[in-house]
Order: sequence, then C-alpha cells, then structure tokens
Amino acid sequence: MKPESHAWQQLQKQAAAQLRTGFATQVLRTAKGPEPTAWRRLRERGAAQLRAGFADRVLRAVRIELPSFSSQVAFSAATTAICLFAVLYLHERSTRLENERNLADWQQVEDEAQALGLNL
Amino acid sequence: MESTSPTALADLVRGAQQGDEVALREIIVNYQHRVAGFVYAMTTRSHYVEDLTQQVFIKMVRAIDRLQEPAQFESWLFRLARNTCIDQLRRQKLRRIFLPFGAEHENIPEPAGAVDAEELDALRHALAQLRPQDRALLALAEEGRSQVEMAEITGTSVAVIKARLHRARERLREFYQPPHS
Repeated sequence: MKPESHAWQQLQKQAAAQLRTGFATQVLRTAKGPEPTAWRRLRERGAAQLRAGFADRVLRAVRIELPSFSSQVAFSAATTAICLFAVLYLHERSTRLENERNLADWQQVEDEAQALGLNL
Repeated sequence: MESTSPTALADLVRGAQQGDEVALREIIVNYQHRVAGFVYAMTTRSHYVEDLTQQVFIKMVRAIDRLQEPAQFESWLFRLARNTCIDQLRRQKLRRIFLPFGAEHENIPEPAGAVDAEELDALRHALAQLRPQDRALLALAEEGRSQVEMAEITGTSVAVIKARLHRARERLREFYQPPHS
C-alpha cells in the first residue's frame, strides 16, 4: 500500500461524511424536477385564494360601466374647446379694456392740450 | 372546464356573447379555479391571485363578443390570463424602481399551508427565478394546453414553443431544490 493511499481513503471518507442521508434520492428528485403533485398543489393553492361568490363579484364589477373611448374623446374635446374659448374671450376682453384705457388717456391729453391752446 | 363537452362549451360561449348572464356566470364558475391556479403559477404570490383572476374575467366578459370561434375559447381565455399577469409583473417591476422598499413587502413569506407545503414552496421558488414568459409556458403546459395552442396563445410558431418549453423546463430543474426527505 502506497503511503498516500491511506490519506486518500481518509479524504474520501471525510467527503462522503458530508453527504446527507438519502443523497441519491435527493439528486434524482432534483434532476427530475418538480413532481406533478407539486404542480397540482400549486394550482389548488391558487384556486383556494378565491373567496366564495367570486363569479357574482366579477359580474357586479362588469356592471359598473366604464366610460367608452368615444365618450372620453368627446369629453376631452369639449374641455379643450371651453378652455380655448375662455382664453380667447379673456384675451379679447383685456385687449379691449387696454385700448379703451389708452384712448381715454389720449383723449385726456388732447383735452388738456386744447385747454392750453396747443394744437396737437 | 372539467366536465363540459366542447359542444356545451360552445353553446355557453354563444349564450355569453348574446349577453346571457347565466351563461357568463357558468363560464366564470367553471374556469375560475383553473385561471386562479394559472395566475398563482405566474405570479407565485397568493395575495395577487383573486385580484388578477377578477381582472382576467372582467376582460373576458367585456371582450367575449369579439371572439370569432367559440371553440377557441379556452386558448383565448388563457391568452387573456397570460397577458394580464405579464402586464402586472411589468408594472410591479416598474413600481420597484420608484418604490425600493416595496420589494420588502413583496417578500413576505407565504402563509404556511398543508403538510406538503415545502414541495410547493420549492416549486414556487424555482418558478420565481424564471422569466414570466417561461413561467407562462410551463403553467400552460401543466394546464394541459397543447403546443399548437401555446403557439396561438403566445403568437409564435410551434417550433419556437418546443425550444422555449424545453429550455424553460431545464431552467426550472436548475432552480428546483426539492425539500430534504
């Protein structure tokens, strides 16, 4: 027997001692992947999450009508039109007021000039 | 639908398309558990299941009149379920970017279940490591969908499905750590 053979045997023994019991079974199970029973349990667990009366809750939720796409578009268009109209109206109004104020100022200047005998 | 024949299913679907609420209700009752199981496999979190399953069926009710072939109902329903789950997972991913602490809440351990919960947890854990598209393929296969149906559901060819399914199964095995017996 070679001197290192004993050491090799010791090493193999130590390595083998690291393996849990049922190692071969474990390897085979890992290699095979999940058993059909695991999949079945997964489906059952999923199904068990639904509370009683699920179908009725779905139908109730469906009855709560969502606005249709066309009605949403129409609402957006109406809102845009109202905003545009408001902006144009305010712009026109402020321009008109500004013009009136300017004209009034000019009128006042003209009146004062006439009072002083100046001809503008 | 566990016990309804294809003809009866087609009749139910036609009834639902005409607005028959009894038919709609029967379809929901017949499929709710299968869809919930699929949603659970896709999300691997139990607290999403009822909400997402409800979303799937609301979409179903609103769109059923546009289904051309009543015989294609199951494939169509699972396509709705797959897309709803993938959208939810995408939103969740986005939310995680903006709410970094949300992830902590998502990682709350699932409530303890039956005696064999370890095996289920191992499967859930392995599924959670996969891409949602791969999870969908595995869940559809476990649901009993054929590769032709899976191709229709995902909008790809059968050859692509075969390759992806094979890869997804390999990845699942890679991540699957069965409980020590």
